[in-house]
This record gives sequence, C-alpha cells and structure tokens, in this order.
Amino acid sequence: MPYDALDFYDVDSLLTEDERMVRDMVRDFVDKDVLPEIEHACRDGVFPDEWRVTLGEMGVLGAPLKGYGCPGLSYAAYGVICRELERGDSGLRSFASVQGSLAMYPIWDFGSEDQKNYYLPKMASGEWIGCFGLTEPDYGSNPGDMITKAEDMGDHYLLNGAKMWITNGSIAQLAVVWAKLDGVIRGFIVEQDDEGFSAPEMKGKHSLKASVTSELVFQDCKIPKDRILPGVKGLRGPFSCLNNARYGISWGAIGAAQACFDSAREYSLSRIQFEHPIASYQLVQNKLSWMLREITKAQLLAYHLSQKKDSGDWIPEHISLAKMNNVDIALEIARVARDIHGANGILDEYPVMRHMANLESVKTYEGTHDIHNLILGRYITGIQAFTRETS
Amino acid sequence: MEITIIAETSGEGIHPVTEQLVGAASSLGGEITVLCPGGRGSDDASVISGVSKVISLQGDCFSSFDSGSWSTVMAPFSKGMVIASSSPTGRELGAQIASKIGVPIVQDVTGIEPDNKVTRSVYSGKVVETSSLPSPCVVTLRQNAFEGASGGGSAEVVVVDNSSEVSVSVREAIAKAGERMDVSDAEIVISGGRGMGDPSNFSHLNEVADVIGAAVGASRAAVDSWDEIPHSMQVGQTGKTVNPTLYIAVGISGAIQHLAGMRSSKYIVAINKDPDAPIFGVADYGIVATWEEALPVLKEELSKL
Amino acid sequence: MTIAVLLKQVPDTTAKIAVSGGRVDQASVAKWSTSPYDEYALEYALQLKEAGAGDLVAITCGPDRAAKMLTDAAAVGVDSMLHVVADTTEMDSKQIQSILAAAIKHCGADVILCGKQAADTNSGSTGPGIASIIDAACVGMVSEVLVEGDSFSALRASSSGNERVSVSRPCLFAFDKASTELRRPNVKGIMMAKRKVIETVSAMDLGVDMGESQVIIESHDSPPEKPPGQKFEGVDSVQTVVLKLREEANVI
Repeated sequence: MPYDALDFYDVDSLLTEDERMVRDMVRDFVDKDVLPEIEHACRDGVFPDEWRVTLGEMGVLGAPLKGYGCPGLSYAAYGVICRELERGDSGLRSFASVQGSLAMYPIWDFGSEDQKNYYLPKMASGEWIGCFGLTEPDYGSNPGDMITKAEDMGDHYLLNGAKMWITNGSIAQLAVVWAKLDGVIRGFIVEQDDEGFSAPEMKGKHSLKASVTSELVFQDCKIPKDRILPGVKGLRGPFSCLNNARYGISWGAIGAAQACFDSAREYSLSRIQFEHPIASYQLVQNKLSWMLREITKAQLLAYHLSQKKDSGDWIPEHISLAKMNNVDIALEIARVARDIHGANGILDEYPVMRHMANLESVKTYEGTHDIHNLILGRYITGIQAFTRETS
Repeated sequence: MEITIIAETSGEGIHPVTEQLVGAASSLGGEITVLCPGGRGSDDASVISGVSKVISLQGDCFSSFDSGSWSTVMAPFSKGMVIASSSPTGRELGAQIASKIGVPIVQDVTGIEPDNKVTRSVYSGKVVETSSLPSPCVVTLRQNAFEGASGGGSAEVVVVDNSSEVSVSVREAIAKAGERMDVSDAEIVISGGRGMGDPSNFSHLNEVADVIGAAVGASRAAVDSWDEIPHSMQVGQTGKTVNPTLYIAVGISGAIQHLAGMRSSKYIVAINKDPDAPIFGVADYGIVATWEEALPVLKEELSKL
Repeated sequence: MTIAVLLKQVPDTTAKIAVSGGRVDQASVAKWSTSPYDEYALEYALQLKEAGAGDLVAITCGPDRAAKMLTDAAAVGVDSMLHVVADTTEMDSKQIQSILAAAIKHCGADVILCGKQAADTNSGSTGPGIASIIDAACVGMVSEVLVEGDSFSALRASSSGNERVSVSRPCLFAFDKASTELRRPNVKGIMMAKRKVIETVSAMDLGVDMGESQVIIESHDSPPEKPPGQKFEGVDSVQTVVLKLREEANVI
C-alpha cells in the first residue's frame, strides 16, 4: 500500500515535479525494501548491504553535489530524500547523511581534482562507503581540542589517535579524518587497508541499531601525501560538512515524526478501551492534535530552509534552529506516540519505540540540542557561552 | 429480442455458469441461441431449459483459445443481445465480438433488468454502477450472480464448420505450479494461529487452501513460536497487510496487531473454540468450534461447490 | 518498429471513493496511480524495448492529470509519450477503443501491451477490442512476454495452469499480475524524464469521430452496507457459513 504522508498544509506541493518524483522513488524503496526488514536489521544490529546497493542504484547518495558522477539535485530534494529515508529508520538516513554530507561533501569541496575524480563516482554509486572522523572519546562538543595528530614524515603523513561514534566506520572503504598537522586541523582520506588503521565496531547500542557505529584507531597510520584535503584548514572544514548533515537531519526528523504520528493515529482508532476507540477520548485527541501542529510547523521550517539553502542565502544558525527544533519535536512526538500505544508501544510490532530510541541519538549527534541553543544564544547576544573564558 | 449466449466451456463439456447465463437471459424474454465454440458441450447446452437453438461451431480454429479467430467465426452468429460469462476468456471473447459487430460491451454485470438496465461493481467493489444498454450489445455476467436455468429443454443443434486463420499458437501447456500464492496477492487467504497447536497442523489449512485456490497465512504468534512457519506468511502489523475478498482465520485469537493486517478484507470468517475471542468482533461469519472439527467439514463443503 | 504500452490513471486502489450526485466524486480522490495491471504491461514493454524489439511509446487517454503518469513512465525508460486529452468517465467501450486504436496508428506501433482491465472500471474490454480494430493477434491473461526472433512468446493463464503461446506482429498482450519485480526509477531517469516532451492531442486531432456514448451511466451508488457479523455455535454451522459465503457474500 503506498504511503499516504501526513502533509496538512500540502507543503510538498511547493516542491518541483521532479523533486516529488524523487520523493516517490525513495518512498517506494522504504515501503517495499526497508520497512519489511527494519526490525530484523535492528535485532541483528546490521545495516543490510542491499540497502547500500539500492541507494546507489537510485542515485541519491551525495544528492546535492554536482559533477563527478554525483546526482546534482537541489537541497530541497536532498531534504526530501532524508525525510523519506528516516520515515524508515534514522539509521538508514544516518548512512546516507554520512556518505553524502560528511564523506563525499568534503572531498567534493576541499579535495584535489584527482581525489574528486577517483573517489566521488564510486561513492555516488554506493560501491564505496565513506565515514567521517571528527569526534574523539574525550572531545565531542569541543572538537577544536582534538588530540588526533598528523606528522609530516617527508614522503608520507603519520596519523596517531582515535575517533569515536563513527557511523559506517567498520563497513567503510574510506574515512575522512580530521587531525592536527602542526597544530592546524586538516582533513585526510584514510583507506580501509592503510597500515596502522583499524575500525572496531561499537556494540551494545540501544539506539540506531540498524546502523554501524565504530571507533577509528590510528597507530602510526601511514598516509600517502596525496591524501590530504588541500582545500581547507581549521574547523571550517568539518563544520561545513556538519552544516550539510544537520540540514538533512532537520528534514529527516520529520520522517520519523510522521511514522510515529501515523502509527499513533491508526492505533488509537483501532484500540478499544471502555467500549470506544481511544481516539475518541479528549486526552488522546489532544496528543494527536499537538503532533499534527508540530509536524506541520517543522515541515514549513524545513521547506523554507531548503529554499534558503538552494538560493545560497543562509547562515549556519538557520540550520541550527531547524535541526534543534525538528529533532526535538520528533523525539517528543515519538515519546507521546509510545504513550498512546500503551504497553503495545514497547513492542517491535510498532515503529514508535525504535524511532524514540533512535531520536535520542539524533538529538545528540551533529551538534547536541544544547550546543545548537548556544549557537543561537551567541547569534542573539553576541556572547559565546560554550566556555567560561570570554572572547 | 434475440439473445445469443456464448457458452462457457470446461474441458470437453459445458461449464455450469452457462446455465446461469441462460437463466439470466430467460428473465429478459426472447429467443435464446447458444454458441458452443469447438462444439464442446453442445448436447449439454441443448437440454438447458429455455434454449431454442444451439450452434455447434466446429472449425479447426477452435482447438485452442484464440479470441481473434474465434470471434471472427462467432460474430456473424452473434445477434441481438450477446451474453457471455465474465471469466477471463469470456471477457476477451466478448470484447472482440462486440468490436467486430460494432456494438459496445459492458463487462462483469451482476444484475440485469428487462429494460436493459444493468448493475455492476466498479472501483474495486467500492461503487455500484447502474447503466442502460443499447440494443444490440454485448454483456458479460459475473459467475454465481444469477440463478441457473434448469434442465429439461430440447433445442435443436445446428453444426457449423467455419474456421478462421489462427494467430495465437499454443506451444506448451504448463500445469499449475505447486508453489503457493503469496498472501498479499491472493483473493482468498486462510490463516492459522498458535491455536493450531503444532506447525504440522498447517497441512490441514493447506488442504482447504488447495480446494479454493487460497494462500496460507499465519499470525505472528504462530511465526514466532514455530520455525517451520516462515515470516513471509505473517499477516499483521509487522507482517503483510492483506485485503482479499475472503479471509479465513483459524485458531487466531485476534490480537490488535493481527487485525491491523487483515481487517480490510472484504469478508472475514473466524474459526475459534473460544467464543469470546476478539477475532469474532471483526468476523462477518464466526464459527465457534475447534479447528480439528471444523476444517475437515469446511474442506468437504468447499469441494462440493 | 514501435512498441506501445497503454496506461490508465485510476484512483489508487487504497483510496477512498466518495459518491456525490449519482457519480463518483473524482475531485475528492486523494491519490491517483497507474492502474496496477498496466504497471506489469509497462515493465514487460521496457523489457521488450531492451531486448531490441523497438522504441517504446506510452499512450494514455485521460484528463490533464494523467500526464503525471506518462512522466513517471518516462523516468523508467519509455522513449516517447502520447497523451490524448479527454474525459473518459462516460465513454462506452467503442469510443475509448476507437481513440486508442487511432493513437496506436498515429504512433505506428505494431506491438501493444496493456493491463487486462482497469482498476476503476473493471472491464477488460479495451485490449481485445483494440486488437480486433487493428487486426492484431490478441493474448490475454499474460504474465510474461519474450522476444523470440521475429515473433513473441508469451505465458498466459489457462484453466489448467499456464500455457506458452507464440504470436507475430501485429500483436497485443493484455497483462495479468506477473511475478516480476516492477522497476523503480532512479535520479538519472527522473532528470531525463523532465526533458522529454509529452505529445498532447485531442481525439479530433487523431481524426476520430466517436459519436455519442451508447451506454448511458444512470448512477453510481455506494454498495449496500454489509450485515452485522453473525456467530454460529458448533461444527454443524460450517455448512451454513459456506452457503452464506456463496449466496450472501458471493465470494466463493
């Protein structure tokens, strides 16, 4: 049965016809390939490899990038892709976000011509998976203090350090790793087989179970000289990647929220208590009406942001607001939806608890909710509140 | 008014639906001629009450189904209102005849009045359409929607040996595959739950399914309990959503998750020994009995049809 | 050598259908889709094209909104599209067949694929009727078609299973549900579809004078409500239920 999405204000009618065709294509993939398998994937803690293949065949990886075999779609289309994927599962959307915004994007923007020609076509086709190494065990919200470092050894670089919480790490053929070279943050492309590189998987997650999360460990890891990203120095590199990924998340979260709303609505209409469907009770209607309200606002926010992204008229704070708001309401919608499902809500028969657990991660990664508040706080007041030192 | 009936054949004889076609035609009044393609069932047709003439078409082209050549031979004999069964072959043949004699066709009619008003079901059964037909025209009638005419007639049988060039040649007949239909494709689904007691007992569901061409499904409880019952059979929230015309739930209590996958079925039959099982709340026809008692009888009754 | 696939846009089979003023309220249909059997016809038409049997044109007759379906078909690889803009809702079988037969002639197609019936009107007259008009071999209930040299081999349902049949051009295949996977477009295809132009014509442009509909639709009504559920005790009731399934529900 094709998915009939909640779109109260008909926001999707503002998309172009080809953007809606891309939406329908991804929607069909989620309905036919993802939803029937997602609970098994979560239970087994695997990202099904067929999904990688299909994402590549559909041609949606690195959606907004142009040239080098990349799709060259609008940011609106990229947003819609993220939303549809995350209706399936945040882990699936994370895969696509990391591949496109965190691994392909820095090569596309900061890489040499040779790097772009070599890596991007096979990443767009899904043949190669990429990951992104910024966060470290002890440096999450303050990546500027990272300790992973690179040394120039004349004919190669030597990488030492460790990265943590790396989506796709153990299944990736390449990692875009940020490390300090003479105290300046630089990007390096590390390949799976490089000497001194390993990517052990992190087990035991209660969230994003259908997504692979790893550590990246560099012990005297030798990197050829031509694998440094020549085009960027400093935190601007990783932050520009994060901006694009956060943009995708602001759309993706809507997909998860829609899935929870749909399930809650359907459940409340069929669940009979005290001889009536629970949907007929005011407390439940209040919850559903609140969900509809928040999803509609999030849709308008995301759509307007997409137009700003596509016209180039945007600042990172715009993205912070959307990421923060949309993930926040999605998580709360998942929690309330779980509540409406009663005890049934904890079962994997329904998607709500899975989305709820996923969204706890989504709220934390790519800039925590609080960090985005601080970004906006600095924007409003001109005073940074990340550290106690004033600047 | 003349009425021409295209006999529905089955093997070398006549399919019982032909009697229903004659029954419907008789209610309209008029002289009824039955065309028997390939001469099959001519004798059977001649004894159906109300038939005045049987034309036994014996041309070579009738050895295998080819609506093009068949209709070429049949069109000149298709006079007045032409009535066929709405079986796949009846529809195809009817449409070709209509086109050849230059009249419209209305398919899959479930009710017909002497003033040429017909009713039929459209939009996947969500709408009933009433329309009036011109005369002459072609209609196909839905099986079992009309009373069959009785026997006791004695129509003359006229043999015609006309043929036409065959353009569809049959190279190979392939017997029905043993593979069972998927629950999401089937018009009829019979599902078992944990109440079946043991996965080997699903063989009893298979037997019933074979009689009526149904797919066999299962509740999640059954799939989770028994490795022999694959997830592909699961109907429900995390399994498949089905909407067949008939869903038979056997030994399924009717948890809300199961209902989510099958409640949009057009008709639901529940067989359960517990009279308070929630499945009875959504069933059109509930039978309070154990499956051990009910399934053999069900199989027998369905076989009689 | 041209292959034509006939597509019809219908209310999605899951969509609610409202009746108002004695007619289905088309404006209230939330979602329109390609008629399901037509999708199998399209898939096999693409396979025939890929096997070198000719260029593929998708043809529809319907209102403006049906153009979307042709663009979707272009995204999966249809070479060209012909849209005969017309309101088919009150047309009889002769009218629609004469338009589509003219459209097929206009495209010069001699291999035609279509669904065995449309999900809305539930008829199954169009394919065989057209075959008769253009004098093409007609194969119904098809679940597979392959190129075999100059001719085609098709699998069709028969009373005892399936049979493999051979036909030569000109020929028409009316598709039943097939076991093949339907293809999904990709971004490249969608971008290409954007650049393809739909040829839009009227029945008159095709030289068709279809006259008046001879079948007059009197009314559309919602089907009668089902009776409330009935519960029977004991195994003796099995016979009763089977009888009711046949006579009351008319489902077996």
